[in-house]
Amino acid sequence: MTDWMLATLGLAPPIAAAMLASCRGSSGNRLVAVQLMTGLVTVMLAVMTFAFDQSSFIDLALVLSLLSLPGTLLMTVFLERWL
Amino acid sequence: MSQLAIDILLSFMVAAAWLGVAGFLRLRTTLDRIHCVTFVNAMAGMALTVVAFISDGPSDRALKILLLTVVSLLVGASLSHATGRALLLRGSAPEAEGLAHLVVASDAHDADGTLG
Repeated sequence: MTDWMLATLGLAPPIAAAMLASCRGSSGNRLVAVQLMTGLVTVMLAVMTFAFDQSSFIDLALVLSLLSLPGTLLMTVFLERWL
Repeated sequence: MSQLAIDILLSFMVAAAWLGVAGFLRLRTTLDRIHCVTFVNAMAGMALTVVAFISDGPSDRALKILLLTVVSLLVGASLSHATGRALLLRGSAPEAEGLAHLVVASDAHDADGTLG
């Protein structure tokens, strides 16, 4: 097992914890937990690029990072006005 | 030597992720928890960028990871600001009780075109 694969596995528990945190608490806490999870998954996808030697994973991480901007902004508008 | 640096930086990156999540679970208020998101983005992202350049050199993959880190930092800053502002306006942040009028007043000030 390579170092990159170990790092990938090491990032799984924090992602699981962030996922659990996004299922409980107030709306604001859930939104921040989703932001944390997005950052962790982005890092994990980038590490998986090296672990599996598949360069397409880094494109997924870039797309996820770019799409998190409009998605989270939309959720903040909902949080600000209606939730 | 480079393999040792890669191991150390990967360990640092994973430790930063664990520490960020531990801080998120430990801190009490939502506004405090936003700092943990920034911590994970900054520390893990920078460690990943350095380890990618050590491992690959200036390859396409390493440059994409550098771009990813820069995008994460910029997007993360914008989103932290937007989330904090929403929490203040919504009154979801207990420590910011009574501060929403400051945000609204600041917006009205900006709309006037005056410098605040």
